[in-house]
Amino acid sequence: MRILSLIVLSLFSSINVSARQNAQLMFDQANTLLEENNFMGALESYRNIEKIGEISGPLYLNMGITSIEIDSLGLAKFYFLKARNFSATKSTADEAIEYVSSQFSRQSAMLPKLPWDRAVNNLKVGIGASGIFILGFIMISISVIVIIFNWFKPIPIPKKPTIITTAALLSVLTVVLAFYVDYVDQRYKDGVIIVKEIPVTTQPADNADLVSIAYEGYSITVDTFTSENADGWYYIRLGNGQFGWIKISGSKIL
Amino acid sequence: MIKTGKSIGFICTLIFAIVFTGNSPAQDISVSASLSESNIFTGESVRLDVTISGQGLNSIDRPQIPAVEGLRWLSGSTNQSTNYSYINGRPSVAYTYGYSFIAQNPGEYTFPSLSIDINGVQYTTKPLSFKVLDPSTIDEGNANRSPDIYVRLEPSTTEPVVGEQVIASIVLYFKNEVEVSSYQPSPGWKAEGFWKEDLENRQQARTTSTLIGGVRYQRAILLQTAIFPTKSGELTLSSFEVVVQVRNRNRRRDIFSFGLGQERKELQTLPVSLDVSPLPETDAVYSGAVGKFQISRSINLEKAFVGESIEITTDIIGQGNIPLIVKPEYEFPESLELYDPQESSSITRNNQQIGGSKSFTDIIIARNEGEYIIPEQQFAYYDPDRRRYSIVTLPALTFEAERDPRLVNTESNEYRFDVQPITGLANWEPAQSDPLLRKGWIWMLLVLPVFSLGIAFVVKTYNDRMDNDSAFARAQKAKDNAFEELAYAVQTSEIKNGYHFIEKSLFQFVSDKLDLPKAGLSTDKITQVIEIKTDKDTAKELKRILDKCETISYAPNTSQETLQSDIEKARELIKKIGRLL
Repeated sequence: MRILSLIVLSLFSSINVSARQNAQLMFDQANTLLEENNFMGALESYRNIEKIGEISGPLYLNMGITSIEIDSLGLAKFYFLKARNFSATKSTADEAIEYVSSQFSRQSAMLPKLPWDRAVNNLKVGIGASGIFILGFIMISISVIVIIFNWFKPIPIPKKPTIITTAALLSVLTVVLAFYVDYVDQRYKDGVIIVKEIPVTTQPADNADLVSIAYEGYSITVDTFTSENADGWYYIRLGNGQFGWIKISGSKIL
Repeated sequence: MIKTGKSIGFICTLIFAIVFTGNSPAQDISVSASLSESNIFTGESVRLDVTISGQGLNSIDRPQIPAVEGLRWLSGSTNQSTNYSYINGRPSVAYTYGYSFIAQNPGEYTFPSLSIDINGVQYTTKPLSFKVLDPSTIDEGNANRSPDIYVRLEPSTTEPVVGEQVIASIVLYFKNEVEVSSYQPSPGWKAEGFWKEDLENRQQARTTSTLIGGVRYQRAILLQTAIFPTKSGELTLSSFEVVVQVRNRNRRRDIFSFGLGQERKELQTLPVSLDVSPLPETDAVYSGAVGKFQISRSINLEKAFVGESIEITTDIIGQGNIPLIVKPEYEFPESLELYDPQESSSITRNNQQIGGSKSFTDIIIARNEGEYIIPEQQFAYYDPDRRRYSIVTLPALTFEAERDPRLVNTESNEYRFDVQPITGLANWEPAQSDPLLRKGWIWMLLVLPVFSLGIAFVVKTYNDRMDNDSAFARAQKAKDNAFEELAYAVQTSEIKNGYHFIEKSLFQFVSDKLDLPKAGLSTDKITQVIEIKTDKDTAKELKRILDKCETISYAPNTSQETLQSDIEKARELIKKIGRLL
């Protein structure tokens, strides 16, 4: 059994190592194309790395730079936003985003987020849903250990039931919070408009009433759950708080 | 009635010509002669047309017809027509004199040149060759089998090169006895593998006579289209459909037909294959031009500011595949920024030839000061007549860029993009991000505390009951205590003591298990209780062992082996009762 486990483990490790080596090789080839000013070829090669399931900050940063070269600023902003999620490229990506944002002909007004949304977003970006869950699990485990210990050897502390109940309740709430943050993360995705302009409509139909026009580089929030009700359309929230539908081809989800 | 003398119209025409033309130069005048047939059967008639045209026709002598070998002139059949037109804003007139002949003896002959005096100057026509054929050489069977009317697709060449203009003519052939009153080409003809441009077609098709397989047909070109092959290899022109209204002059009219014998025929050409050759390689810039062209290149500014747009215009004018010509790619200095080029074109369709002009404008911007040179360029186009490339040298273009002093202060506020790509090693990580609910380890961690808590609770409850419930505690310990007594039985060397321990263990087990008082229990009572709680066989076995324990003193032949056997039976019985209770 132990040998079998070792074999499975080593096989899994070798697959992971192989995938990373392939990704690095493809990355080097794509960089060569970029240096040769073959921008379309380079972007295609970078996308192929993404397709095999391997990502990195430098990958998205280079994709953003390539997109600028092919004069697709919306796409460039999209990739720089992705590069910002990696610590290795965060500061460079911020600098690039500042440049790209200055190049758009139209700038979107941005409403500040509500405190609750901002807190959830900070939790999502910071510790993440998995991190919150692990924290909750540790708290639950400590509570359970204390409860069990108290069953067999009572602990001499004042207001013991209150403390144990409060600790257990907080632990459960932390786990519930982890699932909520994960739900928000799965349902609401940040996105960027990548075409010159695209109509935002009240319904997912070409002839529906117009809500607004979204221009290249606008940041949007996509409700993926509601969007499942209409093939080929996203239900979005614009930076100014307006809601509407846009065609999928006009935007990219982070 | 055929007019043979000078008509009043002719005199008026002369006056008209004199008044409006004045003293026009003699070189405006042209004289030509043509025969309606060049292959004529003996006995057939043939017509000679002599045409005199020009803008200064003051006096014309009617052409005198000499004796022509092989033909007999029908002197009474001469006629004349006049046609007026404006050429370059000036009136022009054309006189046509028609003469009819009958073919005589078979052979090859030449119609001699005619001499005509116009404005006192002698003009001559070119001699015309013709053949007189023997009708007996016609294969009557073949003539009868040949169709009365058919249509053909006739390309001007079947072996063009890629991009060469080919004129595809839709030609109608019909016998003399067939009268075509109208025709209607079917729309939607597609020439796959070709670029197609319609030519200017005549409103009414003109017919000529021709012999095919010894049969005389009238030949009419219905329409013509210019096609340009876009790829090499064997390309096929699909069938073309034409609907014609015909009437057979020889057929007896149906007295009940009010359509005057007209018949609607749907004709279709056979597909025609063309063997298209690829163009040879060339070192010069080639952008797909095939034909005859004049090519030039120019720049709109010789001095410009940094950041100002400059236009490099390439003009291509001539005859050929204008629509298929693509923008020539030039080698620009790297420090120039290139913007989307502009393109414009116009097409002409004169004289069965597609032509026109095409203009490409490259828009460039200098980002730095200095003198820029766009190098000389060899531009090639393929000349199908000469079957080779013609090379045009486009001279080098030069311009100078200088900084606009008005923009000095604004540049410092511009954003600059200084981010460089990362080309070294990168830290790779998996891209997937499943929801928490789909992760197995999440569920494992969720279950673990609950499971632990459950087990601890069960243990705690058991311990509490053992401490507080004596009956439960006796029942839980009954088996262990009974086996402890049996262990003494195993260890003892005396048979009587051994059976005593067996009896004691059974009594203790049943009383503990059923929470009965130890004092006052008898074999019968215990057996009754066990019979009630379990079954008869178990009670019977219990009673047998207990009876043996009580009567062992009267059993002198009992051995150690029998004791061991009974100990084992007692152990099994205890287990069985433990399971049943």
